[in-house]
Amino acid sequence: MFTNGSKYLIGVTGFSAVVLVLYIALVDGAVGGVVALSSIMLAVGLLAGLALFNRDGDVQVGDVAAPANAESVGSSLWPLVSTVGIVAMGIGLITHEIVFLLGLVGLVAGFVEWVIQGWSESASSDRRYNASVRGRLIHPLEFPVLAAVGAAVIVVPFSRIMLAISKTAGAIVFILVGCAVLAGGVVFALRPNLKKTVVIGLCAVGAVGVVAGGIAGASAGKRDQLVEANEEDHFAHKECGEEKSKYFDFNAEAKVSMRSNPTATIEFIGGKLQARELGLNAPRTRITIQKSANISVIFRNKTEGEHRLTLHYGEKEVQEGVVEELHTCTQMIEEGEEQILTFRIDKPSIASEKPYTFSVPGVDDQSIEVFVP
Amino acid sequence: MIRHSNKRNAVRMSKTVRRISAAAAGLSAVALLAGCAKNAPQDTWQPKGPNAQKIDDLQKPVFAIAGIVGIIVFAAIGYALFKFKDRGQPIPEQTHGKPVLEIGMTILPAVILAGIGIFTFQTIFDLAKTDDTEMVINVTGQQWWWEYDYPVQEQYGITDPIITSGQLVIPSGTKVLLRETSRDVIHSYWIPALNGKRDAVPGRVHTLRLEADEPGIYAGQCTEFCGLSHAVMRMETVALSKDDFAAWVKGQLSLAASPTEGSLAQEGESVFLNQCVRCHQVNGLKKADGSPAIAAPEDNVWSGAAPNLTHLMSRNTFAGASWNLLTKQCRKDVWEASSEEFGKRYLAGVTEECLNQTDLRRWLRNAPAMKPMYADPTKLEETGGKYRGMPNLGLSEDDIDKLVAYLATLK
Repeated sequence: MFTNGSKYLIGVTGFSAVVLVLYIALVDGAVGGVVALSSIMLAVGLLAGLALFNRDGDVQVGDVAAPANAESVGSSLWPLVSTVGIVAMGIGLITHEIVFLLGLVGLVAGFVEWVIQGWSESASSDRRYNASVRGRLIHPLEFPVLAAVGAAVIVVPFSRIMLAISKTAGAIVFILVGCAVLAGGVVFALRPNLKKTVVIGLCAVGAVGVVAGGIAGASAGKRDQLVEANEEDHFAHKECGEEKSKYFDFNAEAKVSMRSNPTATIEFIGGKLQARELGLNAPRTRITIQKSANISVIFRNKTEGEHRLTLHYGEKEVQEGVVEELHTCTQMIEEGEEQILTFRIDKPSIASEKPYTFSVPGVDDQSIEVFVP
Repeated sequence: MIRHSNKRNAVRMSKTVRRISAAAAGLSAVALLAGCAKNAPQDTWQPKGPNAQKIDDLQKPVFAIAGIVGIIVFAAIGYALFKFKDRGQPIPEQTHGKPVLEIGMTILPAVILAGIGIFTFQTIFDLAKTDDTEMVINVTGQQWWWEYDYPVQEQYGITDPIITSGQLVIPSGTKVLLRETSRDVIHSYWIPALNGKRDAVPGRVHTLRLEADEPGIYAGQCTEFCGLSHAVMRMETVALSKDDFAAWVKGQLSLAASPTEGSLAQEGESVFLNQCVRCHQVNGLKKADGSPAIAAPEDNVWSGAAPNLTHLMSRNTFAGASWNLLTKQCRKDVWEASSEEFGKRYLAGVTEECLNQTDLRRWLRNAPAMKPMYADPTKLEETGGKYRGMPNLGLSEDDIDKLVAYLATLK
């Protein structure tokens, strides 16, 4: 009575309905999920209705179409893939979004492949012809997807390896892998008659090696410097107390991304502090910055010894009767080094009795006034 | 019978072609006539300063070259379509390649593009120069208005920083460098008569040169989609002669004076202290205890600022330069004034007779109705209940009368 395709779609619709009911019963207030699951159920239900109505399409392929017979139908893995997708979606609903999405991808991919395989198998009684019909339709979709998956299988593990090993080892690995790929390419080009199994074997060993390395790299995690860089916010250091960081950037202005940021450059030259504002050439002892905007300045130490720049920008009542001074700092930097200081001031200068200032701790007679209109 | 049917189809086809042609001609005529508009303050073909002139000097020859190339290409296509139309003639002999023509057709566009490229790069570098700057102004974009602050520059009489919004005031014949940033999303500053556009990006400072040859008002508009009221995020640059600019600076450096004792404006000041000062700063305004009234927009506005209103009536517009503070006739008098007269009329500010009370009252009555600003904080979970613009304060008509009287004193 029911055709194969419609049976499948009716099953998926039923499954969607069950998942929807469970979702409503178990998850509170998540309207988005209800809408999504209802949409899936309705969409699949509609498809089931259509499949029932036209009896799975019963496609005719022009003049060459011939009635399908039992010999033209081969075995198919796609129902299994679709089923795995459905199971993964169910598991994903109670575990993690990514599992759900992977299941959805599996379900859609399996469904599309299955439908197209079924359609192509009704084209004629010739399996080879049917396969070519299927290929014409699905290869433009399959090949790019497979290529993207293949690239991801190489790129993602390789990136995990490079993030896990030290910078020096990374350079060496990169050179060695590059040389190996080049050598392999040269050998394959010079020996076109090389056995196919040898070529496939070498490629497979390389791919397995990269994937295994990637898994090991992901398990080991990022190298310490990267983890600390993330935690310490190297570009905009704000640590005014004892130094804890090891890897902050001592040459901030060399970074292209930083060059268009600074509103001003503040230099500590021969024990004197002076500022240069963007667009104004003469050194200044008073700079104006925008209120409630993220502002960056460069501090450049041109005085012997280690110094840091500190910005004082008023006070804040943290609790009744307790007032805390607001300040932010660069790290201690040696002569010849520089660092970016990024900050945001929300109160205008007139809100504070004390002027906002840049100063260098330990140097009392030098400061740059900061005016916030 | 068949011949008769073919004839009918041909007549029908001919009618359709005629209709399509007429529609295309109509649209083309409208597009062409739009170029003749006199009131087109954002016309990119009318430079009013050296930076815009540089762009114009580049774009005109480029458009001319592109036009000539376009005409040649279309003419060649038309010729080929007509000449080789299928009239049942045999297919001509097919040949593969014509090296001289192919090489020529590669080299010629490359030479044209290289020539355009040289002048384009030269213009880009000229427009990016900052070392000849004569004045610096900070420009901060925020949903949906622009704030301008002037760092101390004593040569122009700016002995203390100045802050204003909506209208950027510059001295004419002066190389001004705008330092642009944004408090929330990406905006883009563009005064077509004075220069190209430049994005204002949160966390970054981008520079844009402006210079006006003559005193006057030059209109512009935010050109980067920035949210709900992007279309009404406008700006105007006002160029004044150097003397008039000095007079403007002097006025901006003064503090707001308290209204006369017992006046309606004084009652308006109380309303302002109760309602408006939560976000809007008026320099010189004092609370009942005599301490300075400090606005706290950072506590109430998502982007952290609201326009400073100390000299509201010195500018001609409000609400992101989208509505006029001047009545239509008074604004026309300012916009159409000669270069010599312009400064005097602009510096007169908004007088009692010229105040556009209609729009100002509408704004005070229900600002979000005029300019959509996600004003309902209950729907703004992501901003922690902070407003993105001015909310409906639910003011009574009595309060609005008082506020208008007070705002009119902020000159």
